[in-house]
Amino acid sequence: MKSTIVCIVCPVSCPVEVEWTKEDGVLGLKNHLCRLAGPYVESELFDPRRLLTTSIPVDGGDWPLVSVKTEPPIPKDKMLEAMDEITGVRVNAPVKIGDILIENLLGTGSDVVATRNVDAA
Amino acid sequence: MASRELVDVAVIGGGPAGLAAAAEAKGEGAGRVVMFERDERVGGILPQQIHDGFGTKVFKEALTGPEYSAIYEARVNERGVETWLKTTVTDLSRDRVLTVRSNRGIQTIEAGAVVLAMGCRERTRGAIGTSGTRPAGVYTAGAVQYYMNVSNLAVGRKVVILGSGDIGLIMARRMILEGAEVVCVAEILPQPSGIAGNIVRCLEDFDIPLYLSTTVVEIHGKERVTGVTLAEVGPKMGEKKGTRRFIECDTLLLSVGLIPETELANGLGLSMSPMTNGAIVDDSFRTSVPGIFSCGNVLQVHDVVDYATLEAEKTGIAAATWAMTGKLPEPIIDINSGAGLRYALPAKISGNDAVDFTMRPWKEEHDKSVIFSSGGEVLRRLKMPHMEPAGMIRVRVGKGRFNHVVDNEITVELGE
Repeated sequence: MKSTIVCIVCPVSCPVEVEWTKEDGVLGLKNHLCRLAGPYVESELFDPRRLLTTSIPVDGGDWPLVSVKTEPPIPKDKMLEAMDEITGVRVNAPVKIGDILIENLLGTGSDVVATRNVDAA
Repeated sequence: MASRELVDVAVIGGGPAGLAAAAEAKGEGAGRVVMFERDERVGGILPQQIHDGFGTKVFKEALTGPEYSAIYEARVNERGVETWLKTTVTDLSRDRVLTVRSNRGIQTIEAGAVVLAMGCRERTRGAIGTSGTRPAGVYTAGAVQYYMNVSNLAVGRKVVILGSGDIGLIMARRMILEGAEVVCVAEILPQPSGIAGNIVRCLEDFDIPLYLSTTVVEIHGKERVTGVTLAEVGPKMGEKKGTRRFIECDTLLLSVGLIPETELANGLGLSMSPMTNGAIVDDSFRTSVPGIFSCGNVLQVHDVVDYATLEAEKTGIAAATWAMTGKLPEPIIDINSGAGLRYALPAKISGNDAVDFTMRPWKEEHDKSVIFSSGGEVLRRLKMPHMEPAGMIRVRVGKGRFNHVVDNEITVELGE
């Protein structure tokens, strides 16, 4: 069948026309400007995922919060559950970009990773 | 006697554009490069933009705002740019003398070249003239983003968002994730102002309704917002009778556009563009005043930080070249923006080098081409499956194409 899926990888937001079947997967793509669209469209059809970004309170840091992301992206329908899991977690400064703050979130295999450097105050 | 310091390149603003311009000016060999930032940290809005999507053009991957900012912060530090934090430039003259104010007092700086990279600020309730009372609970979306993502402050439980700009859409999702209820997003225009990707991942993912051709006509509440009245608008933005409805909420977020922060440049007599509200520049990002350059959101509002970075890098190199040699290629070719385009930038080019043109269409277009022509001959044609006013278009035209320019004039337009 044919579907139009807006690629959300970058702000260009290509409205990708995709021809696909459940059995054979993606058969063809149109209307996209770069190669990042292919993997995204395939994932959106068969296993939709989102990069969840939020923040976690830091004790003793020069910022009150450290921003974080789930790496790799988590299943789209697990976002609110993941927020519940992350809420209540606190960490101590210093935190470096790339530090794993929560391992294997909700058993998804994704970690919660720091995206900001927070130095000790 | 106030101290007077000499610098080769002065960069005003330490956001994404300022960081990139300063790093490249220094990398190009300018002796003393100073970046002036009024905040206590650099990065501009990036440190509060904790969502991802930054860097897909420059790094070919989607980074978060703080990660993207950290890369450029490290770069300016490694290259030896001086960053003056908590320092406000209060005056700038045509001969590139800056007055700056900080806890060191007031200082005078003479610069070989100046890069204007002050960015933009959000339009407020005052700028859109919404009637009603003046209760607490009305915020710009970017201010709430700062409170939530930097200061760890919550602002409300039940939210209406006016305007479908990208920051408003991002904040709709952010507030849902943090447990607030987002009742709806109202947009006065018949199409969304934010990019399509954000409509999908911020609204559709969470079933948040988007009401187009709809605006807030009244804000209710004495101490705190208790609700807003929405109404539909007609094609000429007039309120449609009988469409008023009350929506209960305790918070109204405004995401109603950005205004380039050009006040500092107002006294310079720069030639300005009524379409971008920024300076008119050539392909070296020179303004009409010698030695003064402009890039980033103070030049034109960007929706993709990567494009602001690339523009600023070119500007930094040009500013350094000017400061060191006093020379840059003369812009002799005029660029006219024609059918279908609100504007195309730069306004003049030298033709000595490839140019990355940036432009926005007036309306949503499908399967049209961006066409560069001169003397009736097409120099370059690029087919675009999809264009919308919310998405800046960036098209590179190679140096070789400028050999065929007639009468030093190029027209850029949309066509078949």
